[in-house]
Amino acid sequence: MSASTITGARTASAGRAPASPRRRTRWSPGLLFLAPSLLILGVFVLWPIAQSFYYSLFDWTIGANSQKWLGLGNYVALTQDPHFWNALGVTMVYTVITVVLLVVLGFLVALALQGEGLITRIVRSALFFPTIVSLVSIGLVWKFLLDPQIGLVGGLFDLIGAKPIAFLTDPSLALPSLIFVGVWKSVGFAMIIFVGGLKAVPAERYEAARLDGTSRAQSVWFITLPSIRPTLLFATLILTIQSLQLFDLVYVMTGGGPLFATDSLVNLLYRSGFVDYKTGYAAAISWVLFAIVMIISGIQLRLFRYDDVD
Amino acid sequence: MKKRIAAAAAGAVVLALGLAACSGTSSSGTGGKVELSVWTGFTGGDRPGYAQIVKNFNASHPDIHVTMTVQPWDTIGQKLPSAWLTGQGPDIAAPSPDPNAIAQYVKTNSVLPITLTGDGDSKINVDKLAPGTVKEFTYGGKLYAIPANFASLSLYYNKKMFVAAGIDGPPTTVAEFADDAKKLTIDGGTTQSGLVLADNQTIQMWPILQWLEGGDIVDSNNCSAVQTAASQKGLKIWGDLVAKDGISPVGLTGAQADSLFSAGKAAMEINGPWAAPGYKSAGIDLGIAAVPTGVDGAVTLGAIAPLAISAKTKHPQEAQEFLAYWTSKSVQKTFSTTTGFPPLRTDLADDATLKADPVVSVFAAQVPDARLYLPKVPNATQVDSDAYTTMIGQITRGTDVATATATAQAAINKLTGCTTK
Repeated sequence: MSASTITGARTASAGRAPASPRRRTRWSPGLLFLAPSLLILGVFVLWPIAQSFYYSLFDWTIGANSQKWLGLGNYVALTQDPHFWNALGVTMVYTVITVVLLVVLGFLVALALQGEGLITRIVRSALFFPTIVSLVSIGLVWKFLLDPQIGLVGGLFDLIGAKPIAFLTDPSLALPSLIFVGVWKSVGFAMIIFVGGLKAVPAERYEAARLDGTSRAQSVWFITLPSIRPTLLFATLILTIQSLQLFDLVYVMTGGGPLFATDSLVNLLYRSGFVDYKTGYAAAISWVLFAIVMIISGIQLRLFRYDDVD
Repeated sequence: MKKRIAAAAAGAVVLALGLAACSGTSSSGTGGKVELSVWTGFTGGDRPGYAQIVKNFNASHPDIHVTMTVQPWDTIGQKLPSAWLTGQGPDIAAPSPDPNAIAQYVKTNSVLPITLTGDGDSKINVDKLAPGTVKEFTYGGKLYAIPANFASLSLYYNKKMFVAAGIDGPPTTVAEFADDAKKLTIDGGTTQSGLVLADNQTIQMWPILQWLEGGDIVDSNNCSAVQTAASQKGLKIWGDLVAKDGISPVGLTGAQADSLFSAGKAAMEINGPWAAPGYKSAGIDLGIAAVPTGVDGAVTLGAIAPLAISAKTKHPQEAQEFLAYWTSKSVQKTFSTTTGFPPLRTDLADDATLKADPVVSVFAAQVPDARLYLPKVPNATQVDSDAYTTMIGQITRGTDVATATATAQAAINKLTGCTTK
């Protein structure tokens, strides 16, 4: 269809005189409308991104008269920095556990709450509510709740005669506590994505399966999951990228402690850039994180496309 | 064509207006009045004291108007370096509660050398300021900041808890201090902590404990001193008191330690004068005493926040006049009585009014014995976060003192560039 249209257009213009090579190009109105957005994107997003890579090649000090060229020195220094490897480990553990929990819990909750009854809607809204609250607010609330001396959770332990647990100051419990809060905050978001995906699955598929005598579990495994593969991909990608950028909860709840047990890559980046003022080093961390996000996203895209029946 | 020219002209006007809006914040107001902007992070109980200085300055200087913006220290740390470099920042700022922070701004030529010094109220009386404070802000023979305040840390205690524990008064020696901290701890710290010790996101309390026992963090060559016998002894005593006797919860931030004392869950805390108003309003039966005497005599920690002028200010003279006013004798006296801070000036040390003030007198009496934390030590911020705080965190969680100090020694020497040990 499109090919014949193009052919027709060529035929229509065939009788005209040949266009002058100096004829002025006509600006497409669409491009003009896009221009302000492109300009803002270029100035405030693309240019700073490119500039940050440039910074990462220097021992960059904001405002210094001259900057010392390091080449890949900052990247080499990263590989020798135990804080970097620790932060990478913290970020990866947080991301893997959080994303797995969110995808599994989000999917299961969506399965249970995909109906349109009043109670279902209320429960769905309640679960979604933490998503609309800022991470900083949630972090502050949970930091207070988990305080062993003056928090609600400490009080509950006290009530049953148990010694309150220092969730955020015990190095072995701090990261699991952040994972818990991260999952609590985002499970509603994952649920809503999956509810959308589930509603898009044609009912005929389930009817046909029911006629064939499949069980509920078989329907989920053989019909639902393959049908919502694009939704699964979207949810996993979004949640992975979001988790790799772990910062707000860390900054508010633990500051990266205790003993660097929750020091994520972005927290290390923040500390390097805005506390120690090592701008070039911080820029190098950001590019490593960017590379990690790209690689993991690429792997996920590849995995989900693999075996695609379509 | 005309339409295009009109559109281009309109665009140029919009662009020009936008650029004008982005120009520096420092300006001369209407009627020739000079507008000065000041950023500080004084959000604590001492905030009204600084606001009063600004208010009185504006009232007594009809040609200058100062606007002070108070925001969290973190926010200032994020915005100020680039703001000052681009000329968008305030005329005057307290960049950080850490006096070492000024070195970074000197390095990037962001701060103005202070020249309006001399005698009289219209100049900064450098020779009347506590000598350590001037030295801290002098680089290459030039003064780049004045102290916005100078706080010594004292011992806050809950009188009611002392009476309940059968203790007559606050401890006067380091041995009594340790003993009282144990006596005042109930149920291993679950019900009541004897002493709350913050070790992160705070003005450090642990160096005082080390100094009391004769130890230190770095020596005069900026080499690690945490591994010395005296340092290890002090760290062992107080580390065990926390890890084994539970006198304090582990890993507290400064804000958490303050909350516990305010909530009546801790009997003692070492803190600065800014904390007094909050504790009083929380209804604590409050006592304030000097930090107990150590094995080598009296010692406490001194904290200074710098106040510096942007190198790009359009009003260097007026900005320096403001600093001269801030540090003048009458203003400092009022500030001390309002906030409980010791005065910045040595010529107020014997002032009868301040000596009679029950809060100011305690803090002021300790000024001669106050030591700064990591003064002018290279990479001091990282020495604190990566080496010292980590070491305290390890020891209070049960790591052997020798192991923790050995690790900290290596980290400190690497960061400070010490090569002699």
